[in-house]
Amino acid sequence: MYNPPERMPQDIFLIGAGQTRFCEQWDMSLRDLIEASVTAAITDAKLSAIDIDMVIVANMIGDAVADQAHLGALAASLLPHRPPALRVEAACASGSVAVHTACSLLRSGDVGTVLVVGAEKMTDVPNEVVSRALMGASDAEKDAAAGLTFPGIFGLVAQRYQHDYDLTREQLSLVSAQHHQHAVTNPNAQFQKAIPAEMISESPLVADPLRLLDCSPISDGAAACILSVKHRSPFRIAASQLSTDTLSLADRPTLTSFSATKEAAQKAFREADITRDDISHIELHDCFSIAALISLEDLGFAEPGNGISFYEQPDPNLTINQSGGLKACGHPVAATGVKQLIDLRRELRASGEQFGLAHNFGGAGATCCVHLLEHAA
Amino acid sequence: MPPNTPAVLARAKKNRDRRSQAGTIVSYTTVRHPPAGFAPQPRRIAVIALADGTQTIGVVTGDEVIAIGQTVLPRLRLNRVSHDGLRGYDIAYEPVATVREPLQTPFPGYILALTGPSGVGKSSINLLLATVLSDQVAPVPIVTTREPKAHDGTEYRYVTTEEFQSLREQGQLATWADIPSQDERRLYGYVVSDIEAIWQSGKIPSVVTEMHLLQGLAQHYGRRSILSCGLLPPGRSRRKMLSTLLHRLRHRGRDTEQSIRDRVRNAEADLRFFADRADLFDHLIVNEHLDGAVEQVKGIVLELVKA
Amino acid sequence: MSTHSAIIGFGLHLPQNRIRISEIAESRQEDGAAVRDSIGVEEKTVPDADEDAFTLAYEAGKQAIDVAGIKPTEISAVFVGSESHPYAVKPTSGMVADALNVDPFCHCADLEFACKAGTAAMQIVDSMIRAGQVRYGLAIGSDTAQARPGDALEYTAAAGAAAFVLGPEQSRAALCRIDRTISFTTDTADFWRAADSSYPSHGGRFTGEPGYFHHVRTATQGILEVAKISPAEIDHVIFHMPNGKFPSRIAKECGFTDAQLATGFIVPRIGNTYSACSLLGLAHVLQSAKKSERILLVSYGSGAGCDAFLLTMLRNGVNLPGVAELPRYLSYSEYRERLAARL
Repeated sequence: MYNPPERMPQDIFLIGAGQTRFCEQWDMSLRDLIEASVTAAITDAKLSAIDIDMVIVANMIGDAVADQAHLGALAASLLPHRPPALRVEAACASGSVAVHTACSLLRSGDVGTVLVVGAEKMTDVPNEVVSRALMGASDAEKDAAAGLTFPGIFGLVAQRYQHDYDLTREQLSLVSAQHHQHAVTNPNAQFQKAIPAEMISESPLVADPLRLLDCSPISDGAAACILSVKHRSPFRIAASQLSTDTLSLADRPTLTSFSATKEAAQKAFREADITRDDISHIELHDCFSIAALISLEDLGFAEPGNGISFYEQPDPNLTINQSGGLKACGHPVAATGVKQLIDLRRELRASGEQFGLAHNFGGAGATCCVHLLEHAA
Repeated sequence: MPPNTPAVLARAKKNRDRRSQAGTIVSYTTVRHPPAGFAPQPRRIAVIALADGTQTIGVVTGDEVIAIGQTVLPRLRLNRVSHDGLRGYDIAYEPVATVREPLQTPFPGYILALTGPSGVGKSSINLLLATVLSDQVAPVPIVTTREPKAHDGTEYRYVTTEEFQSLREQGQLATWADIPSQDERRLYGYVVSDIEAIWQSGKIPSVVTEMHLLQGLAQHYGRRSILSCGLLPPGRSRRKMLSTLLHRLRHRGRDTEQSIRDRVRNAEADLRFFADRADLFDHLIVNEHLDGAVEQVKGIVLELVKA
Repeated sequence: MSTHSAIIGFGLHLPQNRIRISEIAESRQEDGAAVRDSIGVEEKTVPDADEDAFTLAYEAGKQAIDVAGIKPTEISAVFVGSESHPYAVKPTSGMVADALNVDPFCHCADLEFACKAGTAAMQIVDSMIRAGQVRYGLAIGSDTAQARPGDALEYTAAAGAAAFVLGPEQSRAALCRIDRTISFTTDTADFWRAADSSYPSHGGRFTGEPGYFHHVRTATQGILEVAKISPAEIDHVIFHMPNGKFPSRIAKECGFTDAQLATGFIVPRIGNTYSACSLLGLAHVLQSAKKSERILLVSYGSGAGCDAFLLTMLRNGVNLPGVAELPRYLSYSEYRERLAARL
C-alpha cells in the first residue's frame, strides 16, 4: 500500500457547492449542465469567479456519447479568466477522484482554491450506446467481450451474495424502496415518489436476479463544489482516500466484498483520526441495490451478510442515503461523487452532527474513494 | 468492448486454449438484453473457476437450471459478429447434466478411488493397501462380463452379459462402463450393495478404476464422496511416463505385444484425462516404488479417517 | 504411399436441442402424427443461436482426433464440406485447422456440393493419403441447415457434424479401410440456393426420381459392379437420408434388406443434417460394426451427384464417449426464437 509522505497540516474547506437537478434534461447539453452547476457553486460560495485558481472536471462517457473529450479546457473557458484545468476519469468514481485530486493539489500548495465539477450527459443517445460506453468501466477484454453489461456484473455479485447469505428477493427490494422513500423530500432527485417494495420485486428482470428497480437510472446532471485552503467555512474535508482493486470480477478472490472500499475506508478513518461511531450520515454508492448492502459491510458498519439489517431496522443515529442515493436521485455517472459531498453538507447542517461519510466507487469497485466531511460548529 | 476487428480477434484467439478447461460455476447471471453484436436473446454469463485454479468469465450454454458449484465443460461457440460480418468465436461452458446440491443429499461416505493407466500398478497398490490398512479399507469387487484370465486376482466378479444388463436395469449398479478392447466389448461396474456393505462394516471402500467409472462414481455419490488418487508412472514428461509404462507392461509378461500397444495408447488418453479433468483428482501420486506409493495413499487415508 | 487409406478416428457433434416433427406440423394446423409417419422422421436437431457449421465441425473434429489417438500436429489436411459455411469467403477448414492446433503446414479448403460435400471431403483426403501427399488428414461434413418457415423442408432440415481422421491403412489404429470410391455427377436442378438467399428452393416431387433415386441407384449399381460385389455381401449400407422413406425405398430397389440399413439409419431421431447426414450414419455404424464387416456408403448431393464408398472394418468398432446431457425439446415458438436470434 502506498504511504503518502507526511502532509502539511493545511485544512481544506468546502466553501461552496451547487448542482442541477439530476433527471432527463432535454434542454441542456453537457456544456449547459457544467455551466449551471458552476454558476450555482460560485454563487453559493459568495466568491468571484476569478478567485478560482484551477478547474477539475470529472466525466466518464463524454467521448463515447458526444465525441467530446478535453473537458478541462471546455469548463475553464466558461470562466472569464480561463484558469488551468484538467479532466479526471475513473468511471463512476470520477467525481470523488476529482475531489481527491483537488485535495492533493491544494495540499501541495500549488493552488489555493479549486473548482471541482462532475458532469454527465447520458440521454442524447439510445440506451444501448450508453450501456456500451458504461462497460468501459469494466475489463473490455475479459468482461465486455463475453457480452456482459453493468447490470450483468452486479447480477453476478447478487447471485453469489444470495447463495452465500440467503438474502431473499423481498429483503433486497427493501433497499430501493428505502432510497425512494428518502428522495420524496429531495427536489434535486430524479424520482421523488415513494415506490413500494412489492413493485420493485415485480419489475422486469434485467440481469437475474437484479430487476429494473434494483438499478440506478440513466440521468443527466452536474454537481460542482469549491474547495479551498485560502478561504474557510464550517465544512472541512477531514479525509480523502483512494484505493484500487482488479478491474475484472474474474480476478478477485471473492464476489461479495470489494477490497477497495475496505481499504479506502480504513485509510480515511485513520487520516481523520475518528471511528465509525463518529459518523452520523452516509452517502454510499448504490449503483445497484446489492451494492448498498455490500458497501455497508465493506465500510465496516455491518458484518458480512448483514448489511440488510440497516434496511430492515433503520438506525435512528445513522442515516444512509438520506438524499435518495443513486437509485432515486439518478446517477449521471461522474457527477455522483461530487453531489454526495453536497448532500452530506446539507444533512450535517440540518442535523447539527459532526461527521459524514461519502463513498463512491467506479466499475465493480475497481476504484473507490472515501471522503469524510466534518461540520465544525 | 474491444472492437470486433481482425487484429483484436487474432489476439483474442490466443486466449482460447487457456480457457478450454473444465471448471465449476462461481456465480452466474442472465443478461436479458445483450449489447449490439451479440445474439439478441437472453444471455447466461458466469464466473467460472477453471481446473487450473484461475477464473474466467464465460457464456453458459443451454437453458437448464444451473447452480453455483456445478461442473461445466468447454465448448467452442460463436461469440459475436461485427457490423461487417466478421465472426468472433470463443469458449463457452456447457453445464454437465446431473448436479447434486450438497445440502440436499445426505453425505453417503467416502470411496477411495485409484485411477491410472494400465501398468502403473493400481491393482498392486490396492491389494497391498487392503493388507496394510485392513481395518480401514476394503476393496470393492469389479463386476465384469469379460472372461476370467489366469493372472486375475480376487478383484473381479465375473457375470454373463445378461446378468450384467439385469443388474443395470434393476438399478443395482452405482456406475458402469463399456470399455472396448481388441476383440470384445467388455462391461465393468460396481454394485451398490457391495459398496454399502463396506460402509456398514465401518470401512472405506476402495476401487481400482478408470476415467469413465471414476466420473460415474463422482456423479452417483457426489464428487465430495470420492477420495480420488491419480496414479502416474515416473517420468518428467508424458513421453517418459509412457515409456516407463511400456517397459512395465512388457516386464509384467501378461499381455501380447498388440495388447500392450493398445494399453499404451489408452494410457496416453488417461494422462490427458488427468490434465483435462484435474477437478476429479484430489491427489496425484507418482508410483516410483510400490512401497512409497502405498505409504502415500496410506497417509492420505489415515488423515481422512482421523478427521 | 499407401494402397488404401483407412479411418483411424471419428467423431460427431449434435446440438442439444430437438424439436418434434409433430410440433412443427401442429403449428401449421396439420395432423402431427400423420406428417411424422409420412416423412418417417420423429424429431430433428436445432442449433443454438451461437452454434454454426464451424463450431460443430470443430467439436466433431476434436473428438475424431481424440479417438484416433494421434496428436493434432500430425494432421496435414483438413477439408470441410457444408452448405452453411459461416462465410461466403473465409474458409471453415482454415478456422477448424487453426482451432484444433493442426500443423499449420496443412492443405485446407472448403467444399460445397449440397449434402455430399462431406463425402467429397473424404474422397479428397483419401486420395491425398494414397498419393503419399499427407500421412493423416481430417474430413468433415457439417451443417446448420435452414428452411423457410412453412416449407416442407422445415420438417427435416437439421444441424450436425461428423468428422473422420484418415491415415494409411497400415496405421496401428486403423479402424476401417476405404476399399473403393466412385462418384456420379450430372447437372440436375432439383434443389438450389441462390447466392443472396437465406433459404433454399426445390423442385417438389422432382427431387425424387430425377434427383435422389436416379443418382443413388446409378452410383450404387456402379460401385457394386466395379468392385464385383453383390448386395448380400454387404453387412451395413448407408444412404443419404433426406427423410425416413427414401433410403428404405432405394435400399429395397437395389437389393438390400432393412437389416442391412438399420444401424446407419439415423435420420428418424436427428433429421437431415445435410453434409453430415450420411457421414453420421457411418459414424454410427463404426461404433458397432465388427472386424471384417463390409460397409457401403452412398451419399447424395442435390445439383446433383453421389459419392459411393466401399469400406471394410479392420477391427471391431469403437464406442464414442456418451453425451453428458439429455436432449432438450423445444416448442415451435422457442424453435423460431432460436433461429431468429442467429447472427
